Amino acid sequence: MTMVMDKKTGELIKGLYDAVIHMDEDTARELSQVILKEGIDAYYAVTHGLMTAMEKVGELYSNNTYFVPELLLCADALYAGLEVLRPHIKVGGAETKKQIVIGTIEGDIHDIGKNLVKIMFEAAGWVVHDLGKDVKLQRFVEEQNRTQSDVVALSALMTTSMLAMPKVIEMIKAKDPNVAIMVGGAPLTREIAKSYGADGYADNAGEAVREANEMLRRLKDKTVRS
Amino acid sequence: MTSAERIDALLKGGSLDRVPFLSFILGFCAKNVGYPVAAIYCDPEKSLRAQVWTREQYGYDSEPFYGYASYGGFEFNGEIKLPDGEYEQAPSHKRFAVVKEEDVEKLELPDVKTAGMLPLAMQFSRLQDEHGISPSVVVGGPFTIAGNICIVETLCRWLIKKPELVHRLLRLATDHVLDVARYWIDTFGVGRVNIQIWEPLATNQIISPKQFEKFVLPYQTEFHQKILAIGMKYILCHICGEQNRNLPYWANVPMGDPGIISIGKEVDINTAIEYFGDNCIIAGNIEPAILQTGTPQEIYGLCRQAIEKGKHAPRGYALMQGCEVPVNTPPYNLYIMKKAVNDFGWY
Repeated sequence: MTMVMDKKTGELIKGLYDAVIHMDEDTARELSQVILKEGIDAYYAVTHGLMTAMEKVGELYSNNTYFVPELLLCADALYAGLEVLRPHIKVGGAETKKQIVIGTIEGDIHDIGKNLVKIMFEAAGWVVHDLGKDVKLQRFVEEQNRTQSDVVALSALMTTSMLAMPKVIEMIKAKDPNVAIMVGGAPLTREIAKSYGADGYADNAGEAVREANEMLRRLKDKTVRS
Repeated sequence: MTSAERIDALLKGGSLDRVPFLSFILGFCAKNVGYPVAAIYCDPEKSLRAQVWTREQYGYDSEPFYGYASYGGFEFNGEIKLPDGEYEQAPSHKRFAVVKEEDVEKLELPDVKTAGMLPLAMQFSRLQDEHGISPSVVVGGPFTIAGNICIVETLCRWLIKKPELVHRLLRLATDHVLDVARYWIDTFGVGRVNIQIWEPLATNQIISPKQFEKFVLPYQTEFHQKILAIGMKYILCHICGEQNRNLPYWANVPMGDPGIISIGKEVDINTAIEYFGDNCIIAGNIEPAILQTGTPQEIYGLCRQAIEKGKHAPRGYALMQGCEVPVNTPPYNLYIMKKAVNDFGWY
């Protein structure tokens, strides 16, 4: 009986995974409902079905198999499943979710890159505080003060807007020296990010979560050594 | 040679004294002469003056022009806002004309004489003509215009889920830019108007080469063919961003004889020569972010490399920025480009 249930669970989770990879919002929603009816743990389905699929989508995006249209539709399938499963996740346990404040910098209304990064962080189980686009510098400081997030992520597409980044990084660090700040966007490079005082830089949405985790590890190592 | 003689020789394949220096430069000119950046877009007289004076000061060969990347949104009944903050450089979208599926059917072709910023663009071109400058017009490619009419994330989803809606947008966008081209040619005459066509949204940072082939290529090709047939003087096609996987398709888009292909840092000049060198003048590819944040030595080095790679391109080469000069570029960094052309660009 247990083996049959395990096999069925495996098939349903695989089906959920495939629904995300294949951008199938309806199947993701339907299978999530079946999963609940079968009594399968919602958290298990989210982590092993939806999140694992989105990690794969991130890889496909980073290696130029998937592009922005595919990534957006995969995310739609992910969110369709999450909408069904999230209310049934049992709250509790010691695990604290990592948090990130994210926004497109003041003067810049381009947010597609920022939205893709947001998707990847949500898919990875982070709590995302999305400030939107054309975000005034002080707003980043205020939100970080309010949420005490692990990471602040700044996005810019315009060369003129990116000039605000060193200013806001200084403002945030003055209030919260321990927060990790990462930047991204077309005109930025790792070298420019470093010169701005950022702790990390992501070349694309597929790399962003990994970079954030590595950035936190680097900062932790630095603190331990000092 | 004067700048006009140099550009003329470049276009006709004649003997050049040195590599021409073209500049993709707008908001910087306003700040340079003490005007608000918005003046470039809302005051044709100030825009022309700022550009003419800045050109005189920095000695580049290209002529003033009027255009902005979010063109098409306002013309199709969306809303834009002019730049007015410390960190803004160009008109940006305030409201898109198309947000949901039903909005697509409501779209109508704009009246090119009255829609959006077109009256100001035409006023600018009349000023160009009065001042002995070749009248020019700047539009997006059909795909970029579609992304200015419709929220880009929605457009991207529709590429896969509702391609018929994307084709409807692209049809309207193509017909519109053809109307604009015809209007300019009817006003100033056959063989007198040059056009810049900016197609940044087709970058592989957004869409795949297959999506380029299906959605960008047919409309872009149609647009180029038709405007060349009705007497456009030349095309400068600006394809910034990561476009390397699209180049085999771009190479089949007629650019004129010659056209000018303007590339960003992502496309190497040697690669551009490989794909376009037989038919196009290559222009590029100095990265604007480096102009803004780099040292003069870095910029000088990049310019030297670009000139050495492009100097003997079969149909010609011009040193140019890979996209718009940032408003807050340190002035010396822009001067350094001219210095590089003077040091390495002579034939």
